[in-house]
Amino acid sequence: MVLAERSNDVRNGKRSRGPSPNGHGSPDSSSEDENVIPFAAEKIRVGRDYQAVCPELEPVEQRRPELISDRALLVWSPTCDISDVKLDEYITTAKEKYGYNGEQALGMLFWHKHDLNRASMDLANFTPFPDEWTVEDKVLFEQAFQFHGKSFHRIRQMLPDKSIASLVKYYYSWKKTRARTSLMDVVSEGRNATSSGTGKRESGAASEPGGSDKDSDNDEKGEGGGESAGKWCTVCGILCNQITAHNSQKLCQACLVHARRTGTMRPLCGPSGRRGPGSKQQRYKHRLPRGIYINHDDLVAMATGPQPGDPPQPGLINHGEAMLKAMDREVISLKRQVQQNKQQLSAMKRKVGDTGVEELRPGEPPAKINSRWTNDELLMAVRAVRKYGRDFQAIAETLGTKTEAHVRSFFISYRRRYNLDAMVREHEAERGNAHHIQAGTTSTESAETGDNANNGTDSSQTTNKDEKMEVDSEGVAIGASAEAGGPPTTPPKHKPAK
Amino acid sequence: MAMQPHSKKRVCYYYDSDIGNYYYGQGHPMKPHRIRMTHNLLLNYGLYRKMEIYRPHKATADEMTKFHSDDYIRFLRSIRPDNMSEYNKQMQRFNVGEDCPVFDGLYEFCQLSAGGSVAAAVKLNKQASEICINWGGGLHHAKKSEASGFCYVNDIVLGILELLKYHQRVLYIDIDVHHGDGVEEAFYTTDRVMTVSFHKYGEYFPGTGDLRDIGAGKGKYYAVNIPLRDGMDDESYESIFVPIISKVMETFQPSAVVLQCGADSLTGDRLGCFNLTVRGHGRCVELVKRFGLPFLLVGGGGYTIRNVSRCWTYETSVALGVEIANELPYNDYFEYFGPDFKLHISPSNMSNQNTPEYLEKIKNRLFENLRMLPHAPGVQVQAIPEDAVNDESEDEDKVDKDERLPQSEKDKRITGDGELSDSEDEGEGGRRDNRSYRTPQPRKRPRLDKDGSTIKDEIKTEDSKDDVKNISSVEEPKKELPPNP
Repeated sequence: MVLAERSNDVRNGKRSRGPSPNGHGSPDSSSEDENVIPFAAEKIRVGRDYQAVCPELEPVEQRRPELISDRALLVWSPTCDISDVKLDEYITTAKEKYGYNGEQALGMLFWHKHDLNRASMDLANFTPFPDEWTVEDKVLFEQAFQFHGKSFHRIRQMLPDKSIASLVKYYYSWKKTRARTSLMDVVSEGRNATSSGTGKRESGAASEPGGSDKDSDNDEKGEGGGESAGKWCTVCGILCNQITAHNSQKLCQACLVHARRTGTMRPLCGPSGRRGPGSKQQRYKHRLPRGIYINHDDLVAMATGPQPGDPPQPGLINHGEAMLKAMDREVISLKRQVQQNKQQLSAMKRKVGDTGVEELRPGEPPAKINSRWTNDELLMAVRAVRKYGRDFQAIAETLGTKTEAHVRSFFISYRRRYNLDAMVREHEAERGNAHHIQAGTTSTESAETGDNANNGTDSSQTTNKDEKMEVDSEGVAIGASAEAGGPPTTPPKHKPAK
Repeated sequence: MAMQPHSKKRVCYYYDSDIGNYYYGQGHPMKPHRIRMTHNLLLNYGLYRKMEIYRPHKATADEMTKFHSDDYIRFLRSIRPDNMSEYNKQMQRFNVGEDCPVFDGLYEFCQLSAGGSVAAAVKLNKQASEICINWGGGLHHAKKSEASGFCYVNDIVLGILELLKYHQRVLYIDIDVHHGDGVEEAFYTTDRVMTVSFHKYGEYFPGTGDLRDIGAGKGKYYAVNIPLRDGMDDESYESIFVPIISKVMETFQPSAVVLQCGADSLTGDRLGCFNLTVRGHGRCVELVKRFGLPFLLVGGGGYTIRNVSRCWTYETSVALGVEIANELPYNDYFEYFGPDFKLHISPSNMSNQNTPEYLEKIKNRLFENLRMLPHAPGVQVQAIPEDAVNDESEDEDKVDKDERLPQSEKDKRITGDGELSDSEDEGEGGRRDNRSYRTPQPRKRPRLDKDGSTIKDEIKTEDSKDDVKNISSVEEPKKELPPNP
């Protein structure tokens, strides 16, 4: 047995502690992959040192299940008193208005014994544990991460007030949202800033809960820090603490990055009212994308508000940060909505099934009649001629995108090229046959033409000739106005006429 | 009767929000964070609110030494990254260091993982729940005094030991890509726990799980190993899973089931080499659930974490009997699931080295072994009095025959040989299981001597009529039974 041979290999003697066959690295297994799975054992061992001792089965009459503790804390139990919709509403409110997460919201509801009203009222009385990660922490973390990789022990040496657990948690939420290179710029910049004694560069943008994404990084660079007042970027006219000379311009970080990358100045729709001293007013034709506006007041609030790194000033709220947080919440809420909509759509699709939609459609969507013939349409038309002969009405209906007149003109213009006459003959022959067989005994007409199928064909051909003449005369007139499509690349296959 | 793909069950879910914060170390494939990702998906899918959610207590050393040796647990409790150097010798002895590194909070991690499974088992014992889930558990490689394969404390063994207090026989099924050696070893010599493991075998960790490893002593024939090759796909998996599990249910008649749902058998796993989709993996949960026994679901391996959380989320939905959309809801870790942001995954085009003939051969070999089992092995038949009659009749209602019919039909389609017609009566098997929840079925013993499906079919039909009689026959003393073959 194949199996037996194979297993002998495995079981012979001690297996060396080699790496496991680990050939299926996924994208997740990046540089960190070390292939570290030795074979620890190769045989099930028997003996007191290896087996578990099974407990006696407790006789039923001695069982006291109600006395056994759960050894776990119930934090939520389902309820059927509250409809899903209401529950969703409640959770959304808790999330968006009070910054709870879904679990906390449900926890609150459970605490109030599923009393939705009381829980809703109570929401405001508790503030969920705030994100204890300040921007400074985050920058430090990234910096440390840059040095030490995922050695959280080492990272912790730079962030001694954080637990490893907290570091790991932050790492996982930050990992996928980071824009690594740009953030590293910030870090190096931050280091420069430290030397000037002002501490870390701060901005509201970086304090969003899920880590910063690319856009906010740019914001960070553009608007970050208001400490070293008096420096304005000569391009965007925004106050910032880090100005770099570049091509006779003094640029803020965002403009600098743009200039370096593209070689041109950053197109901008900045606040025209506010210009830094000595800045050249530059007009750009480029506009912000539709739907995006820069609010001057917001920028001011962002740039001048107290920064998290500043000595705490009680009573002063960081407007910029609050604003960004609110926007961030909005973005998340919208993303959530998008996914929900997608789910609903797919649920509806499934409900309707594969074919069900067709029935529900309000008739055929008025197909766009277009006189231009596409290759597909030409192919289809030729097939349709084969099938319907000169029934142009039927052909037009089949195509859906052509009128009967279009089909007529098609027939005329392409008659030669596609040998349409032969098609028609074939069609007639077939129909004649069918007609003949079908009607065999009852129809007098077929009785006249006799048993010979060819006869039938001939007769129908002759009748059709008259029709064709009609078409021709009509077709010329229409054909003149009709636009002929491009030459077909693949003429449809058909049997050449004898 | 309308077909019910899912039946509603009371589901309890065990989770501690700290569990995602443990970190095995740089480059280590085991990432407890996947449990938090799963949790977050459950929350945002709205599945959370449909379950009882428990935060497990940390298992005490006392609880853990129900299986593990005292000095091993003492060692785990005292070792820390900063005092490792003092424990060199012990680290070697307990196999801690390489695969199973010492990391910050190691002991707490073990406590939470084990605490969840033990609490879940207690819950099932109290009959306060039909299905319990602990994705933080499933660490099936851990041995009595030895760590192995990223596992330190064997929460599964601890959970099963707890179940054994109230259940005469417990079935353990393992669909991790690795052999469930820790659990198998722990119960290698007992007939009260049958371990069934489906795993990749041949030059693969941990190296055990040969088809011919069938248990020892009293436990002979109570360890079932299904060695598989690379590239198992959904269809092949089901074609072997269904007949084996049906047969096991029928012959072993457990009164509780533990399913280890290691997600490294999914396609694209960082360490695994199978080609299962989330659907195919979840199908196993669905099939086991249909037997309607008290059911403990634990996690296990799984090293491509986005797929692990997809898989366990889906399996939670299967346990709940709730259908969830393929589009993932927005969640804290949404970016992990790009670019498609879908729940289900597609198999790869890797070749499946498990030919139908190969699977057939394994199956037949295992059936031969299972035939050696005394039906409803039981000690102390007389010691188990009638129990929970109400409960049972309730179960009878829930487990309706129609529900399982398509499944058995599928069996026929897949293999369709004489042997398989055995599994046809899997429907009845399920019902018998309910009865066996109450008591073993001594009357089935004579079947042992017979062989072949036709006889079993007869018995099957007789079974359904026999229901009432059975209850009265329970008190039959065991010694009247024919000796085991």
